[in-house]
Amino acid sequence: MTTKSESPNPAPLIDRGLDSIFYPQSVAVLGVTPTPGTVPYDIFYNILASGYKGVLYPIAPGKKSISAVPAYRYVSDVEADVDLAVIVFPAVVVDKALEMCGKKGVKAAIVISAGFREVGPKGVKREQRIKDICAEYGIALIGPNCLGVINTDPGCMLNASFARKMPSEDRIAFLSQSGALCTAVLDYARGKNIGFSKFVSFGNMAGITEIDLLYYLHQDPKTDVILLYLEELRNGRALMEAARKITRGPNAKPILVVKSGRTSQGADAASSHTGSLAGEDSICEAVFRDAGIIRVNTLDAMFNAAILLTYQPMPAGNRVAIVTNAGGPGVMATDAAVSWGLEIARFQPQTTSRLQESLPAVANIKNPVDVIGDARSDRYEAALEAVMQDANVDQLLVILTPQSMTDIQEIAQGIVKVQKKALKPMACSFMGASDVQVGIDILEQAHIPHYILPELACKAMANVQRVCKWRQTELEDFEPLPADRTAVAAIIDDLPEGYLAEDQALAVLKAYGLPVPKHKLCKDADQAAAFAQKIGFPVVLRVVSPQIVHKYDVKGVVLNLENAEQLKKAYKDMMDHIAKVLPDAEVTGVLVRGMIPAGHEVILGAKRDAVFGPTLMFGLGGIFVETFKDVTFALAPIDEGIASRMVRQIKAIGLLKGARGAEPADIAAIEQSLRRLGQLISDFERIRELDINPLIVAPAGQGAAVADVRIRLDG
Amino acid sequence: MDKSEIQTRIVKAVCQVLNIEKDMVTPQSNFVFDLGAESTQSVQLLAAFEEEFGIEMESEAALSVQTVGEAVDFIAKYVNQ
Repeated sequence: MTTKSESPNPAPLIDRGLDSIFYPQSVAVLGVTPTPGTVPYDIFYNILASGYKGVLYPIAPGKKSISAVPAYRYVSDVEADVDLAVIVFPAVVVDKALEMCGKKGVKAAIVISAGFREVGPKGVKREQRIKDICAEYGIALIGPNCLGVINTDPGCMLNASFARKMPSEDRIAFLSQSGALCTAVLDYARGKNIGFSKFVSFGNMAGITEIDLLYYLHQDPKTDVILLYLEELRNGRALMEAARKITRGPNAKPILVVKSGRTSQGADAASSHTGSLAGEDSICEAVFRDAGIIRVNTLDAMFNAAILLTYQPMPAGNRVAIVTNAGGPGVMATDAAVSWGLEIARFQPQTTSRLQESLPAVANIKNPVDVIGDARSDRYEAALEAVMQDANVDQLLVILTPQSMTDIQEIAQGIVKVQKKALKPMACSFMGASDVQVGIDILEQAHIPHYILPELACKAMANVQRVCKWRQTELEDFEPLPADRTAVAAIIDDLPEGYLAEDQALAVLKAYGLPVPKHKLCKDADQAAAFAQKIGFPVVLRVVSPQIVHKYDVKGVVLNLENAEQLKKAYKDMMDHIAKVLPDAEVTGVLVRGMIPAGHEVILGAKRDAVFGPTLMFGLGGIFVETFKDVTFALAPIDEGIASRMVRQIKAIGLLKGARGAEPADIAAIEQSLRRLGQLISDFERIRELDINPLIVAPAGQGAAVADVRIRLDG
Repeated sequence: MDKSEIQTRIVKAVCQVLNIEKDMVTPQSNFVFDLGAESTQSVQLLAAFEEEFGIEMESEAALSVQTVGEAVDFIAKYVNQ
């Protein structure tokens, strides 16, 4: 559960000792051994071999030196100050090591050692102990259970990790919850001529979290793009707040994430629609979307987008020009581009004329431009120059297939030449593997993103477009809506754990401005008839009893009662039936309310999630929820923009908008109800689950009405 | 066998295996943190103690022993059975 102790606004990174991790003046490696091939030795050696600009101290009890560097028995034996301790001792003595670091005044520590939270209860206890020590001494802690940290800034050059090689300097930062994945990513990136600014394996996050690191990298002048690999999301709200600041504004930096793994939902997950539908991944997806974090499914897709974002200017729009020497791949690229939301640019007349002048008559001078299979570099260059200058073109994709006359090297050099003059992003796909390699090398060295298939290039361009779109999205501050908190507190404060009676639940909703129809809890048939007379027939009778949650199962709901006579008979039948099937049920009374005119039935749900805290769900009723799971989620509370996204992103939105000539539904009323519901569950921690099922939505401008509600309280 | 003799013989074995001076070793010395034992040396220490005292110890329990003093108490249980 998101608890009050989790700060939604973590202190800015600079205050959290991260400079001592990335730019330490001195580093001590604790637990170094003289045996190459072991983690302790390799970390020490990597720091030494990476060309670290500070001072390095091996702490190796019983050893005079490690790799000819004088060794110390304890960190406290080092006379000078130590900024950063890298601890590779076995887990059982890490606390001793950290305590000694604290007494020495070490500012930051990276605990590489495993054997903590990930190994069960004993490890959890051990991890808590090191957290306490770090808190006591103000040590900024990365890890435990991590690979380490790399900073390629030539002013520091720190490889405090057991990765095999130091990556080259670049403007991409990579943060990973998995240590082992890091070495694979480093090797993959090297193979693609991609380097990093900062590379961090943050492990169990006992101290510094991914959110602290994101804030730090936002301010890091060496980083332009942030990549994140996550296995669990511990504080969705804080991540969202951080990402919204980082991904927008004058110093905006895109964040791309690959999220895998699932956290246990807990045994109490599914007593309502919201509970059973709100899988962790669905909520993660919503968090990322509302945070402006670009989620991709694979590391390949992540790097494909990252190189475009890092090495090329941002496109002014989504219009793509394609230049190819092969018709088939041009069509494939067009299909891919369009299916991912890009637009195929329509050339200006002058561009068409220029293409006509410089290309053979058989060439296709419309987009995608086909320079024909026998094209050499001069033809490619002429076509690229022409389309690059077209005001209707925002970005460019160059495709090449290797024919016998294709001068691959010269074409690649020509592309580099054109790109240097351009302010528009360009991506290439030299299709093949062997012959085209010479061209790919030239492109990659010039930082022109290359993709083995044109579809991959289009996907990367589409992901860049998501970044652009997010930056243009207007965001509002979360402003609380007017609500009667005192009234809700008066209803729920003294109630025990469990479901609220329907009249209580409706009163709670009413206090928060949700559209509750006129109703009254009546103690007998005469009272019910009198109230029905007052509000006007037809009416609905609904039994109210603490023992009856599913009213329809016991014939506890009767609809469309036209007059007092019908109502009294229905009342008697209902009481007789309940007395028969549930003789022990204590009936508080019947709730009488007017019939709600037919409309679109939608479900609004709220749930206090074990991981994310208050969450909201929206979907259309009936089979859309049960069968198609056509629902959307968000962390509560929500602003107007998120409410709009929740409603408009269900697949069946067409039905609400008025499909096949039907009247459109009052979408604004749904959005308003979602916002109010979000605020309600955020304001009252005791509300565990809340389902409005259904909310009946009238045509546009005519509102909506709560037809049924269930609210469950925690103890 | 009394504990001071056990300790003397343990210290001798520790110094041999870890290649350290006797004056580094006290009953409070942690094999890893204070004496610099690597993971493979922990196993070597175990074997050296078994040979020194002619005993056979339960490995998992023996490897959880962290200090020289704890090793004295642990081995005393075997040799004085």
